[in-house]
Amino acid sequence: MPFDDLFAEAERQLKVCNSCRYCAGYCPVWPAMELRTAMTQGDITHLSNLCHDCRDCFTACMYTAPHEFDLNPPAIFTQVRERTYDHYVWPARVPGVLRGRGGLAVAFLAICMLLVALNVLTTGGAVFTGPQTGSAYEMIRHLLLVAIVTVPALWSVGVMLVALARYWKDTRGQFRDLLDGRAWASCLNQSAWMTHQTGAEEGCAYEENEPSVNRRRAHHLVMYGFLLTFVSTTSAAIEENFFGQEPPYPYLSVPVITGTVGGIMATIGCVVLIRLKKRSDAFQTTPTMRRADYGLLWALLVLMGSGLLVLLTRTTVAFGPMLVVHLAAVIVAFGIMPYTKFVHWNYRVLAVYKDNLERTGAPAQAHYDLSPETRA
Amino acid sequence: MAARGLLTTAEELLSSPWDVVVIGGGNAALVSAMSARDQGARVLVLERSDVTFRGGNSRHTRNIRCVHNSADAYNTGAYTFDELWKDLCSVGSGPSDEELAHLTVCESESVTGWMAERGALFQPPLAGTLHMGRTNRFFLGGGKALINNYYRTLRDRQIPVVYEATVEELVFDGDRCTELVVNHAGRRHSLRAAAVVAAAGGFEGNIEWLTKYWGDAARNFHIRGPRHNDGLILRALLDAGARTAGEERGFHAVAVDARSPKFDGGIATRLDCIPFGVVLNNQQERFYDEGQDIWPKRYAIWGRNISQQPDQIAYCFWDSKVQDQFLPPMYGVYSAPTIEGVASQMGMDPERSAATIRQYNAGVPEDATSRFNPAHLDALATTGVTPPKTNWAQQLDSPPYYGIAMRPGITFTYMGVGVNRQARVQREDGTHFANVFAAGEIMSGNILSSGYMAGFGMTIGTVWGRIAGREAAQNALR
Repeated sequence: MPFDDLFAEAERQLKVCNSCRYCAGYCPVWPAMELRTAMTQGDITHLSNLCHDCRDCFTACMYTAPHEFDLNPPAIFTQVRERTYDHYVWPARVPGVLRGRGGLAVAFLAICMLLVALNVLTTGGAVFTGPQTGSAYEMIRHLLLVAIVTVPALWSVGVMLVALARYWKDTRGQFRDLLDGRAWASCLNQSAWMTHQTGAEEGCAYEENEPSVNRRRAHHLVMYGFLLTFVSTTSAAIEENFFGQEPPYPYLSVPVITGTVGGIMATIGCVVLIRLKKRSDAFQTTPTMRRADYGLLWALLVLMGSGLLVLLTRTTVAFGPMLVVHLAAVIVAFGIMPYTKFVHWNYRVLAVYKDNLERTGAPAQAHYDLSPETRA
Repeated sequence: MAARGLLTTAEELLSSPWDVVVIGGGNAALVSAMSARDQGARVLVLERSDVTFRGGNSRHTRNIRCVHNSADAYNTGAYTFDELWKDLCSVGSGPSDEELAHLTVCESESVTGWMAERGALFQPPLAGTLHMGRTNRFFLGGGKALINNYYRTLRDRQIPVVYEATVEELVFDGDRCTELVVNHAGRRHSLRAAAVVAAAGGFEGNIEWLTKYWGDAARNFHIRGPRHNDGLILRALLDAGARTAGEERGFHAVAVDARSPKFDGGIATRLDCIPFGVVLNNQQERFYDEGQDIWPKRYAIWGRNISQQPDQIAYCFWDSKVQDQFLPPMYGVYSAPTIEGVASQMGMDPERSAATIRQYNAGVPEDATSRFNPAHLDALATTGVTPPKTNWAQQLDSPPYYGIAMRPGITFTYMGVGVNRQARVQREDGTHFANVFAAGEIMSGNILSSGYMAGFGMTIGTVWGRIAGREAAQNALR
């Protein structure tokens, strides 16, 4: 739907919500909505990214279809989030040849071929003959490896920083507002526990619309598993650059343990999330967001799975090909990251931060209690 | 369920005999079912609606008012028996039956704990609910969320529910209900139950029935709950000789947006602009003190006020000074640089509307703007105007002007069947039915006949559902 129609529909629904307010106990979206009597596109974008898709508001709502008010906050927030992911990223679009699954496959194969070519050119084809020590540098020279991974990573970080700056400008405006330490502290605490996804005590009504903690736990596995693999890479770089320890690292070392544990956690988490998603209500999201979710989960599975296989095969002849596959997956992932569902947490963290700013900064409502919440 | 060898299809459920059959799917019905099951009875619930719209009026509720002697996570302070009793006595014409009202308030003290054991979740008082946070306990997510949790508990306790099941007839043999004729999916079933709990709500959804007491005015009423509350079971019981309780014109009604749906608009369509504005009927005349009282008492007044005006419509006007003092109505408001402009948008006579507003303005004190205080009854009253506006009376003098058309929105009716302390339905001849019990709005007229006390309908439904379920089960298992 065109953006104007999208925001008009979101505003229509939120007007009904603002006249009801029964959901106020579930998450901060609704108290944040109550602070506003008129909604700008920035407000709607903020509320949509503050939403953690727990869907309790939908199951609690008296006005879902076929009621003529036809409310569906999870779906309309999803649509606005899709628009966020699309609208703020710069450059706005992946080049035509790289779009869709076909584009992804082409990019992946091209990078694989590039890696093999580099391997042949620099080592004379070690990738086909099996490892000597099990170090990645046998396959791709150290600096070359750093370069081909860092370039797409820096590109993506740059694109995301621009996107987030544009997002902040639309939803809050002042960049100096980003410097509130207390708001950051509670924001990071809430994000770390995903407290806004719990529907207060109820749980998230996701699979079969039955409230549970399953989705949040699985998401924790993915989030912290992913962070552990990040720790693995970082600790390897530290061991190498500061302690002069060259890979391969022993099984009982920080990089291997964090990488293995993180990889297994994230893999289990992704599998659970995929299974939960299959049992979730497609009516409360959009087909495109569903595809993006599945895309991210499968991409993470490929990343984690190929990473674990590299470790398992590092003494075998499969090591070279597995490393090529894993590195190509990492490079493609870094390159397309700003155009995937991966970006969701960036906007969400900013929304949670802004919510904390509003809650500490906004004056207490001085209204006389003429408000209709006083009755049922 | 199939694995446990239980009945699964509606056909099977409706062709087997039950200890207790509960008619209804709202709070009182579900509480009755759980309470009967607690006694060991085999219970079947018959809900008129489909899954999406299940729960009757309860899906539009928000909180419950119970006695509690201390503050806790969900109530900001104590609310003693004496205080609740006093509040109940000051509602409308007070308790209909002191003994039963007394029992209701006594029993309310153990209700919230009982609810929590059966899946109910509450929320701490939030910004908008703070001033009711002491007396009333708010359901997390509102009434539909509560109902959803109860249905989950029913499932866990093996209490089956047949949806879209209409009880068309209650067959009596003397004082005993021997059979329920149930229409489901176009087929009629003859259902046998040792005891029956009628928890099927009031009759506010039955416009024809309302016209008996309100005349054609009832055709202009909006019904805030589901159209299924048409009093089919109430009618069947009365026809079988049940005694009535509560006033036939007793109802709770509020001012709702005239653009609201005819049924099921719930909480979102009600309006709270009245204390800040001036209200005219379609003769362009004021008819009632807009600043009479504070929430929640005033809330219950305006539905009835409007229902007594010509064509059951009224129009509220205000100006830009007070525009941000209340929630923006969900459908938006009419607005124009002049009163005449707003009036004509709403289909009123512009000149006469403006004249009435000028007349009202002339009665407002000179220093009104400095004395106006929306946080209290500010005693800022008109002089020389009939009727007076006794609080918050400011001039309408700051364009743009705003307006909205209002209709009466009926929440529930009070007239129902008489019951005794065991929730057993009484008969006109002074005896009672052998195996028929009632809970919720179908018997709320035993407790109150008029007026409104927020959250007390859920108290009645829960207290009496608990009694009716227990008594019906014991009656059936005897």
